[in-house]
Formats: sequence, structure tokens, C-alpha cells
Amino acid sequence: MSVATAQRVIEFREALREAMIEEMRNDERVFLIGEEVAQYNGAYKVSKGMLDEFGSRRVIDTPISESGFSGMCIGSAMRGLRPIVEFMSWSFSLVAADPILNNAAKMLYMSGGQFGCPIVFRGNDGAGGQLASTHSWCVESLYANVPGLKMAIPYDPYDAKGLLKTAIRDDNPVFFLESERLLSTTGHVPEEEYTVPFGQALIRSEGTDCTLISFGRPLHFCLEASEELAKEGIYCEVIDGRTIRPLDIDTMVHSVRKTNACVVVDQSWSFASVGSEIASQIHAICFDDLDNYVHRVHSDDVPTPYSHNLEQAYLPNTRKICEAVRAATYNA
Amino acid sequence: MPIEITMPRLSDTMEVGTILHWHVAVGDSVSSGDLLADIETDKATMELQSFDDGQVSQLIVSEGNQVDVGTVIATLLEDGEAKVEEVPEAPTPTIQKVVETGHRVSPVARRLAEVYGVDLQTVQGSGPSGRIIKRDILQVVDTVSETTAAAKTTSAPTPVVPSTPIQPLVSASPWQEERTVPLSNMRQIIAKRLVESKQTIPHYQVTMSFDMDPLLEMRKTLNKQLASVGIKLSVNDFLVRCCALSMATNPEFNASFGGDSIHYHGPVNVGIAIALPEERGGGLVVGTIKHADQKSLRTISQESQYLSKKARENGLSPDEIGDTTFTISNLGMFGVDNFTAIINPPNSAILAVGAAIEKPVVRGGELAVGNEMSATLSLDHRVIDGAMAAIYLKTLKELIENPASLLV
Repeated sequence: MSVATAQRVIEFREALREAMIEEMRNDERVFLIGEEVAQYNGAYKVSKGMLDEFGSRRVIDTPISESGFSGMCIGSAMRGLRPIVEFMSWSFSLVAADPILNNAAKMLYMSGGQFGCPIVFRGNDGAGGQLASTHSWCVESLYANVPGLKMAIPYDPYDAKGLLKTAIRDDNPVFFLESERLLSTTGHVPEEEYTVPFGQALIRSEGTDCTLISFGRPLHFCLEASEELAKEGIYCEVIDGRTIRPLDIDTMVHSVRKTNACVVVDQSWSFASVGSEIASQIHAICFDDLDNYVHRVHSDDVPTPYSHNLEQAYLPNTRKICEAVRAATYNA
Repeated sequence: MPIEITMPRLSDTMEVGTILHWHVAVGDSVSSGDLLADIETDKATMELQSFDDGQVSQLIVSEGNQVDVGTVIATLLEDGEAKVEEVPEAPTPTIQKVVETGHRVSPVARRLAEVYGVDLQTVQGSGPSGRIIKRDILQVVDTVSETTAAAKTTSAPTPVVPSTPIQPLVSASPWQEERTVPLSNMRQIIAKRLVESKQTIPHYQVTMSFDMDPLLEMRKTLNKQLASVGIKLSVNDFLVRCCALSMATNPEFNASFGGDSIHYHGPVNVGIAIALPEERGGGLVVGTIKHADQKSLRTISQESQYLSKKARENGLSPDEIGDTTFTISNLGMFGVDNFTAIINPPNSAILAVGAAIEKPVVRGGELAVGNEMSATLSLDHRVIDGAMAAIYLKTLKELIENPASLLV
């Protein structure tokens, strides 16, 4: 019979920390840099204790100057180091758009293969809760548009560690999008060495009637909606895409061929988004398997409200997802 | 314009299809819904029906030939088309088509209608603006198969005639000639899947004998009572129910190995191996009795008979062969004592059933004559350990030897 093993459970933020510590122990070229990452142990305590272990040459505090330290690290990556750049929030990456999009993502191409850019940009993405319009950015749709970069969005501590280790080892620039709302969530993370490969979606819950695709925090609402809908006899297959670039469209299509219905849940705005891209690919690849067009749930097409109630109504939530699945399966 | 008929994609995995038999010849008039050909796919033999009215002008692919999905296999001339060509001044053709586009059909509904040969003109759409959706097609298919099944069970039982041809003793028979026969699609699939199963799954077997007297006694009584309504329960029908009910306490037997996880299935779908007759190319398929744990012996029997008959005569549809979670292979009717079977992936177990044989048995310390049946489980050791197999067989034994509980 099954052997009961004691499962080690840790927080999402600890999983991120473990990934960085393990990779820094294994590879001297890896270092962490960003605002408050060293002496303050990280604005969200992700890098707690890392200054003590690795010292101020490898865990480096910066001034408030995203454009400057991003550009500097891109240079160091081109010369052989492997920086992890922490943005306190991806909202603050906008001032560094030129170096991260124009230099990091394009360097290998523009240098004719002479310079790669093995760098990880990581930090909080999406609404953290009443941080208002300018500090609640979901950058996935904006940045995924650019060729030459990779993008990962972990949902649980297991993936947070496994995907971050893969990101650090990757020879390309990786945009690693964490959610502030997930940092305190807990989950099983084995003590043994493992990584989670890019481009492999995970079926988080199996179902027969509708494929629900999402990334990161909205998966929580998808799983809630899935339980709610099961009571009505509608069984959803919830797919965690895990990485947006590369995108595991095969797993998604395979599921849609079975369910004939699909809802994509994407916390960015709907216009020209990751959600619209996935819907478009599904329409193109398995048109003949669809019983309805692919429905989408996004944040509403307005700047993020500050008011708690309005913010909750604005974000993808369980109610909106349930409504979309009912509509997509003709159960509205 | 002649209408081009292409090799349809009849299952998700189908890439090529073989024309087994043309039911029409060049010059025949056909109407929408008429049977055009039998097509062998990688999974089953299926019927190709016409979606248009017209006259067969060409049969491009001849019987026995295999072509890719999408290849043009025949052409039809629309009614009156030949005349239109002769009299070029008649410029009125497009009106009919405009009328037809009034139908809104979801893509998958259109594809399923093709697979099941449902005439879209006869279907009432339940989606927005009367769009025909998947549910509408499946309802039509369900109604048709229910009436077919019902018609079957109420018809008088046909006498069983032994069909073994007697070979003459003299003169060399064709089967003695040396020859090489290319593999049929089905045999290719059997070869591929079973090699994969045997090579990747760590198989082992556990055998148990069952006292069949109580079950056979009950079967006799039930069949006597049900004869008037045309129902005849087979021993296998009882075993399907026993195996399905035993899942409740042994969920690992209704599970699949998933690399880094074990997936426990919700529904209990019991597959039954059905041997196909030589004239249909031989081989075997596994028909599915879905939710077998929730079905009565009577329903299991009707479905099982329907599946066997359809498999042998017309071939099974993808829906009728998919999604098994456990399989039973029964060679009891051939008098086999016992045998072992190869697991049907992604199942984690298969039960190989021998015949109930009258033999000397020891009952309560006395030598007596009784019916015993031997059954052998093949198991995936990655999911099921030996002790679990023993517990499952014990559950099965309790049900088989105390069959009254199968009625509730």
C-alpha cells in the first residue's frame, strides 16, 4: 500500500528564496540585486538571510533607479554573470522598459549571436490589494508581446521553486512574475533537488465539460469556480499554463478537443492580451472541436480602482468565471 | 461543379483511412444520408454517408486502398449538373445554397454530425439563434442507439448455428499456401499498443478460483423469468457488475499511472474485449460500458449485447470504445481453463476469465461436484501491489459467491 511520507510544507516566499540560495551556492556567477533586497531582507522578505550567507558582493542593495540597475545587470549578463534582478513590483519595471525590452530581449539577435543575456527579472505582478492604478500593473500581456524573452508565472510554492531554478539556469532573459497575494500561501516542496521545465502546462483539476486556462493567482479563482460549477453538473478541466513564453498550447488544445469548450482567465486587460492570443491559437488549431467560441475573463477595461469593493469587482473573480463557463457551455 | 468527397477524419488520432467497401457504383444516384462506403480507421470500422444529393461520377480510391485524411476519394455531380453543362445559358444555380446557410452549426456539432451520419436538416438547434450545438447531435445519437438497443432485445432470440467451415481432407487448402499479408490498421494498433503496454508496464499476475454454483443457479432462475421480455444474462454480465462494484473499496483498480502521480478516475467504465469475425478482418476491440457500477444487470446485458453486435457488424464509434478504466477479457465461452491478459493502457488492471467448469470440489470437508471458474488479474505494479490484488479478488469472490447482492 501507499507509504505515507511526511511532506515538507513551506511558504511561497521561502520556495523562491530556496531556489535563489541553491542556485547561488551552485554557481558563483549568480547574484541578487534590487531595492531593499540585502539589509532589509527584501521588501516582502523573499531574500531574508541571504545577505548573511552570501555577503554584500552577491546580495546588493540599489537606489531607486530601475532603469540604471537593470541596464547595469544586462551588461554584466552579457559579460558572463547571471544576475537575478528583483523589482519590488513589476509596476516599477515600466521605467526600465528600454533596457529590459530593447536590450535584454534583443541582445542575442542584434549581436548576431555574440552576446546572450542570461538574466532573471523577478518581482510582484498584479493587484496586491488597494495599491491603486499605477502600482497594480499586470505586465504579462504588455511584455509577452516581445520576442526574445521567456516568461513564467508560478501558482504554488512547488512551481515557484522549480520554475525559478529553471529561470536562473536559462541562457535567455526570463521575466518571472510573482503575485504578492500568493507569497504567504503554503504548499509541499520536496527537500530533494528538482526543477520544473518551461513550456509544460499542468492540469490542476480534470474535467469533461469545459477547459479553464489561466496563469498565476487567477488559478485560485478558477479552482473555486470549478468546485462551484461541479455542483451544477459542469465539470471543468483547470489548466495552469505555468509559462507564457514558451506557451504549451498542445496541452490546452488536447483538453479542448475533449471538452469542446474553453474559457481563458487572464488578469491583464482584454485588448491585445495573453488571453486573446490563446483564444486565437485555439480557434486556429482546433476550430472543428469547438462547440462555442473561446470565452475570456479579464480585468475590466479601466485603470485599477483603489476602492476595495471596486477592485474586487474589477479583477477576474469566481463569479465572473462561473458565468463565462456557463455561457461557453450553453448553460447560461 | 462536381462535389468532392474526401476521406473524413473520424477520430482524433486518425491520419489515414482504408476504403473497405464501396456501397455505390459510378452512375448511382445518392441522396443525403445514403451509405457510400465502409471506412477502416485506426480504431474502428465506420460508415461514410453522403451529405449531398447527386450522382456518383467517379470512385477515385478503390477498395482496399489506404489514403490520407482529406484526400478526395470520390466525386458527385449535383442533380441536373450534366444538363447545366450542356446548356450554358442557364444562369440560376446559387439560390439553393443561400437557403441552406440559414443553419447555424457549431464546429464540433458539424463534425459529430459527420461522424454519426446525422442529417443536420433534421436537427433542432438549442443554442443562441437556433445554433445546432454538440448537445443536440448527441441527443439524436442517443435516441437512435436506444431504439436500436430496444429493438434488439425485444426481437426473438436467433438460434446459434455453428459456423466453423469444414475443410476438405484432400487437396491443398488456401491456408496452407505460404504468403505475407500486410497488417490491417487494427492489427497495427494492436501491435503498437500491446508491445508498448508489455514493455512499459511492470506486469504481474494473481489468480483465484471461484465457486460458481450460486451465480449459475441465480442466472438460470433470472433468465427463465426474463425470457418473456427477451433478456438473457450472460456470466460475463454478472462479472462486469461484480468488477465494477468492487471498485468502491479498491479504487486503485480504477486508476491510471501518470508518471509522477496516480490518477483515480471518477466514473467506473468497464471495457469488454470483443473478438471480431474473420470476414471483418479479425482482431479485437474493447467496448465500453460506462458507469458500470451504477447500472443494473439488465442494462449491462443490453449494452454488452448491443456493443458486441455492433462491433461485429458495423464497427464501434469512438465514443463506444473510449474511456475504459478497467477491462475484462473473457474466453470462458471457448472452454478455456485460464489464461493471462495484457493490460489495456491507461488501465492499471485487466481480468482474464476462464470457463466455469464442472469438477470435483471439496465443500465443507466433503468431496462434491461443483462449478469452478478461474480468473487471473494482470496488474500494473506501479499502481497496485500484490496484497491489494488479493484484497480485490477477495471482494470479487464475496460478490460472485453471494450473488444476491448484485440485484440491489
